Amino acid sequence: MKISRRASKADVPSMAMGDIAFNLLIFFVILAQAEDDSHLHWEPASAVEITASGAARVSVLIDSDNKYYINGQQVGETQIAGEVESLLGNAAAGDRRVFFKVHKDAQAMYFEPAIAAISEVGGDLVHVLEQKKE
Amino acid sequence: MRKKRLRLSLMVEPPASATGDIAFNLIIFFLVCASVQPDSGREQSLPRSDQKSAEQTENIQVQLTRNAVMLNGAIIRQNDFAIALSRSLKGKVRQEDRVVIVQSKPDTPYSHWIIVTEMIDRAGGIVTIQTEEVQEMVVPNS
Repeated sequence: MKISRRASKADVPSMAMGDIAFNLLIFFVILAQAEDDSHLHWEPASAVEITASGAARVSVLIDSDNKYYINGQQVGETQIAGEVESLLGNAAAGDRRVFFKVHKDAQAMYFEPAIAAISEVGGDLVHVLEQKKE
Repeated sequence: MRKKRLRLSLMVEPPASATGDIAFNLIIFFLVCASVQPDSGREQSLPRSDQKSAEQTENIQVQLTRNAVMLNGAIIRQNDFAIALSRSLKGKVRQEDRVVIVQSKPDTPYSHWIIVTEMIDRAGGIVTIQTEEVQEMVVPNS
């Protein structure tokens, strides 16, 4: 008599899927928050002609309290050049875009040193502005 | 004898197989939210400070204060600035002649600076910023 072998079924447990996806969710949320500056308070200045810019690997922000932030992390005025340079690395000419987000009421004594620091390290400055309402 | 009637209580659990789909949709939602950022503005290329032209040319100077604009030392209205600047740049073909030096007082607001530098860009000028230099003076002993 021939006894047939019982084929055991090996499925990926669907119970684990939720846990895996939830951990992925937490991972991406933390990753997004680490380089995000959406929690900072600033109002953009307005201009007549603005163009949609591509992505930038560096974002320099001056908030309403005249504090400097690079990719959401607070820095001192003297650290801007070094931080931007290290983040840009050896990027090619067209890939050295730096978003410059300045609160509309920030004064020249705060934003001019930042502009000078970005241009000193060869960053392509992009002023982030809003469209002027006619 | 009275028989106790057993009530069959059913435990209703949400299907475990759906949690994966819910969490996956949440991931997509957060990623889409993170990627939609209104980053539009104006590109500005400033000449690097180490780039010095061989010939020293007479450049146009724009001074900015909190709410005023000066073109080569003369105060002008903001509305007239674009026309006056275009007149000054007329006939200047070489790139080094089209450099406009912008000097701002420390209390000049960014919104004012942006309006004026935009006018310079549109008039065909090349914006260069000049920060105030710190001068050290030695006072002779009397």
